[in-house]
Amino acid sequence: MVGLLGSGLSAAAEAVRAYGPDRVLVADDPRLKAFSAQGYSAVAAKMLSSLPEPRAVLAPATAMGRELLPRLAIEVGGTVAPDATDVVPREGGGLVVTRPVFGGRATLVVELPTIPCVSLRPNAFAAEKSPGASTKTEPFPVGDLPATATSVVVEKTVVTRGDTPELTEAPIIVSGGRGMKGPENFALVEKLARVLGAGVGASRAVVDAGWRPASEQVGQTGKTVSPNLYVACGISGAIQHLVGMSSSRCIVAINKDPAAPIFKVANYGVVGDALTILPALTATIARSKGLPNP
Amino acid sequence: MDVIVCVKHVPDAETRLRAASSGKWIDPDGVKFTVNNTYDEAAAEEALRLKEKCGAKSVRVITVGPARAEEALRYVLSMGADEATHIETPPDAQLDPLTISRLLAGVIKTLPHDIVMVGKQAADDEAGVVGSALGALLGLPSYAFVTELNPDATTKTLKMRRYVEGGEEHFNGPFPAVVSLLKGAADPRTPTLPNILKARKKPLTKVPLADAQAKAQALPGAPVAGTVRSFVLPPPKTGAKMVEFQTPEEAAEKLVKLLREEAKVL
Repeated sequence: MVGLLGSGLSAAAEAVRAYGPDRVLVADDPRLKAFSAQGYSAVAAKMLSSLPEPRAVLAPATAMGRELLPRLAIEVGGTVAPDATDVVPREGGGLVVTRPVFGGRATLVVELPTIPCVSLRPNAFAAEKSPGASTKTEPFPVGDLPATATSVVVEKTVVTRGDTPELTEAPIIVSGGRGMKGPENFALVEKLARVLGAGVGASRAVVDAGWRPASEQVGQTGKTVSPNLYVACGISGAIQHLVGMSSSRCIVAINKDPAAPIFKVANYGVVGDALTILPALTATIARSKGLPNP
Repeated sequence: MDVIVCVKHVPDAETRLRAASSGKWIDPDGVKFTVNNTYDEAAAEEALRLKEKCGAKSVRVITVGPARAEEALRYVLSMGADEATHIETPPDAQLDPLTISRLLAGVIKTLPHDIVMVGKQAADDEAGVVGSALGALLGLPSYAFVTELNPDATTKTLKMRRYVEGGEEHFNGPFPAVVSLLKGAADPRTPTLPNILKARKKPLTKVPLADAQAKAQALPGAPVAGTVRSFVLPPPKTGAKMVEFQTPEEAAEKLVKLLREEAKVL
């Protein structure tokens, strides 16, 4: 069963339906336009109590998903684990959840008795469409809500994402550091990202220097990412950066300094100037994909 | 206005991790623990700025942890907090984030609180559960991934910004509330020597675990929790496979071949 919460959800409901769940409950209500943990958990708890025997609650490990589940777990007397990379049923009910800790330097396997509320790390699970799915969407009446559930007012939303995917969800990330020498050279990072369909990331040093927006910062005070491929360009690999990306499936490091710590966590290393390697890499990948060289 | 900030004493980011013989967490022996360099330090800084901006009565720092965690409290006191509360656990206790939330909520309920600040997540187990769990347990609204907050004391409203996927929201919500901070507006201050000395004399209340557990009994929800089955450290990476090349074009060709045929990520 998929529960959808929000306002103006017809397109989202249609998108979810294509994956072929048994049921899609849609709580489409103007009072849910602004997200609040208190409002959304109240509605999600009502959805759960409408089901005969809820076994587990899953949500994406996005900002909203991670904020919602602890509150929901308390409301339904359940348990919680965030950012799972693997989930299997537990004997006697509940789930056994694997999740990265210490910035991906280790993993923790946790047993969660029922009802487990688990957020799933983006990219860690494959979603497959189910062609010809005949699932019907069902409206879910929200009914009364406590006053605190509707007290958040959003004044404006500032979209920082351009045409590149959101970092935490991007399957590939090309990231630049001080070795890019200046903000103008990030065009090289962006071009490689474009031919790869990748997100653009940055080290703290270049964000602090004002070369790149804070929304691109990867690392301890920025975002934690785990794409399939992370290309670190001119990034030395300070521990504060590594904790934000070391759980990536495959890491490529391009750096002039052969002693840079980034090579210790990378799968593939290129000792060279990112300013000369990147254009060649972009051209090679563009050619192999039949794309114009940007 | 009373501000409470919750912190956790965690291993320093650069510490070498070893698994404990139980196989369920790190071996704390020889590990340097700290509160700085984490989200919690940013939360403490923001709590102190709240006090300075709107004349909060007091900033209290609170933690759940073994005896050594007093160091985290003293650090935040030396940053400028006024009082501290230490819910003391046995040295080898491994507590689920919901259990920690219940212990904190039980004690916070008995203390004056208008704004409860937490960091986005602890730097060790990275659960990020305590903020919205405290909200539910204390019957307060909670706001997470917050990057900026300004209280309006007359309307009891917080004007905030928060991270959302793809951008940022400017939003308002009422307080008393629990705020989970992604990133502060300013770099955390470094304690000065006089303030470090002063912090030694500031009031620090110890709450025995049994007392905190008793206080937590009346809270909503069930005292159920996850239990750790295992803690796994990956075998150390042996270092990158280095691409040998004469020209950038050769480097690119070889790298793409490896990514496509060996790593299978392209």
